[in-house]
Amino acid sequence: MDKKYILVKDTRRAGSNQTEHFAGLLAAKIQASPAAEAVQVVRAADIGFYDQGLVLKFLPGGPVYLNVSEADLDRVVRETVVGGRVLEDLAAAGTARQLRVVLRNCGVINPENLEEYIRRDGYRALSRALFEYTPDKVIEEFKKSGLRGRGGAGYPTWLKWHLTRSVPGAEKYVICNADEGDPGAYMDRSILEGDPHSVLEGMIIAGYAIGANHGYFYIRAEYPLAIERIGKAIEQARERGLLGTGILGSDFNFEVDIRLGAGAFVCGEETALIASIEGKRGTPRPRPPYPSVSGLWGKPTSINNVETFANVPVVMTRGGDWFAGIGTEKSKGTKVFAVTGKVKNSGLVEVPMGVTLRQIVFDIGGGVRSGKKIKAVQTGGPSGGVIPEDRLDTPVDYENLQKLGSIMGSGGMIVMDEDDCMVDIAKFYLGFCVEESCGKCAPCRIGTYQLLKILERISEGEGRSEDLDRLRLIAQAMQKASLCGLGQTASNPVLSTLNYFETEYREHIQAKRCRSFKCRDLLTYSIIQSKCKRCRQCFLNCPVQAISGDREVGFYIQLDKCIKCGKCFEVCKFNAIARE
Amino acid sequence: MKKWSKSDLDKIRASREPDRDWIKVGMSTCGIAAGAEAVFEYLRDEVARRGLPIEVKKCGCLGMCYAEPLVEVRAAGLPQVIYGQVNRELARLIVENHLVEKKLVSDHIYSFNREE
Repeated sequence: MDKKYILVKDTRRAGSNQTEHFAGLLAAKIQASPAAEAVQVVRAADIGFYDQGLVLKFLPGGPVYLNVSEADLDRVVRETVVGGRVLEDLAAAGTARQLRVVLRNCGVINPENLEEYIRRDGYRALSRALFEYTPDKVIEEFKKSGLRGRGGAGYPTWLKWHLTRSVPGAEKYVICNADEGDPGAYMDRSILEGDPHSVLEGMIIAGYAIGANHGYFYIRAEYPLAIERIGKAIEQARERGLLGTGILGSDFNFEVDIRLGAGAFVCGEETALIASIEGKRGTPRPRPPYPSVSGLWGKPTSINNVETFANVPVVMTRGGDWFAGIGTEKSKGTKVFAVTGKVKNSGLVEVPMGVTLRQIVFDIGGGVRSGKKIKAVQTGGPSGGVIPEDRLDTPVDYENLQKLGSIMGSGGMIVMDEDDCMVDIAKFYLGFCVEESCGKCAPCRIGTYQLLKILERISEGEGRSEDLDRLRLIAQAMQKASLCGLGQTASNPVLSTLNYFETEYREHIQAKRCRSFKCRDLLTYSIIQSKCKRCRQCFLNCPVQAISGDREVGFYIQLDKCIKCGKCFEVCKFNAIARE
Repeated sequence: MKKWSKSDLDKIRASREPDRDWIKVGMSTCGIAAGAEAVFEYLRDEVARRGLPIEVKKCGCLGMCYAEPLVEVRAAGLPQVIYGQVNRELARLIVENHLVEKKLVSDHIYSFNREE
């Protein structure tokens, strides 16, 4: 009989962690059973379930038991450990699980080994496209799949390819947009680092479909390892005839080059990206003409995101129908999110479209790290918005997020708890957009700056009652009049926070109060003498010597010197510092 | 180097991957930033020094960035598991307990919930 293993983890959020206790108890019961020699009880650091009480996971092959009580342990040993029967009342059901389509090879293969990629079905999609499909049939397959652009806007991939293919001309281009720049988002970097060949294969297939013989990777220079690995992948593909002339013995030719972005956020916008590749200053131009008609060097060009390309080989090998079977009615397949912020398990998560935000944050992300109440989830970076706690049960897809005033975006997802101030969040994103606005059009250049100034004023306690209307007015003007997506969406963080958290804005303006204690200028610190033990910790730690006094007379904060850094509040062990 | 044709690819796919044990160390930016480089070198050298029949490989990011550096182990007779927040000391335990004594190491396994 093969040896069995039982992972044990106490996943309760509150109370002390009893993993060791339960593991010891279970081990003792097993020791006294006929299965004593055949089982090892192992304490897990993370068992993949959260707030589900005591969790037991049997390896290899399952089952997983949730909310196991101490009283259950005897029958678990008798029935499952010794008897090999599953206890249905304890078995896990109904929690969201990850589904790895895009990340199928990430962390599985050596990204620098071409043969490992090929053994995992690599370049099978390319063979199939070149030898079994006409370009039109490839596009047809993607129409069936329902794959939409993963860069954020969700434009149907097949339509982009179809339009680019339909424009007459012998010279066309494919561009991979790897200019990932949303704060907190790194899906594309991980894909390029973990599975570069899948992106390259997707790009070659796109080239075949639209009739292009040349492609460019546009990668931001801040991703040196991604650049190195995609560079190696291109070299290997060239050596083996997966790039170049007569690919795999067919009559299709395709070459790829890398262009590095210098870190300008606006260069993720397709017309600015094209200008940057052409060696010009990276600023957008009005559309139409769209790049599918007049793109790189005036030629028809299809620009797709890294994650979109990583989906391409899967659609070709498993078929458009298979792909369309995953996800919601209008959003097919999976989406990779970079879940960060106040979440317990920050990292990359790939789930089928239609899973709810709450499932992503709690079932997979493990909930809020601090144990505090979740306030909102931000999606879509500087172009997106916040989604408040009471809307977290919305299934994630392109349309739903847009209805909530946010966007899918490229996949950044920032979890916020009660310590996050919504005015401060809006200020952060506007600060980012002021820095990154290229300055070409006035609505964006002036609008972002004016929004930021008003937000700063509000957070400093200088807000005026007419400010909220003014914020809305400027935001709407920017949406309508800006030249490119950056300016059109830059006001989303303001509008969505204002929409869902207007009370917080009003508190800042009228009561001069920040309930999250983030806006420094609205805070005052003082020492509660009745609680103070005169331990001197605040006195010693104040970086600007704003605390005076001694052990005899007690300590006092001099408000004119205080910079409101909160250090005294942090170091006081007796809760003797008041923060209002 | 010889250019491949469609049938060359089919041949590679048909050739079974050598059925041997391996240790994978996640070596994307997140892993390296958390110290995966030192863990990889230690495991590679230690496995060689002891002459263990197991291959130490680099791979990309599994996505559990909060638990980097990640080390996944497949050793015959034991279930395939992922160890998280691996440092030199834990790497030593993985070699001694998991590889040599054939026992899983408690308190360091990260198991995530996905459709297989």
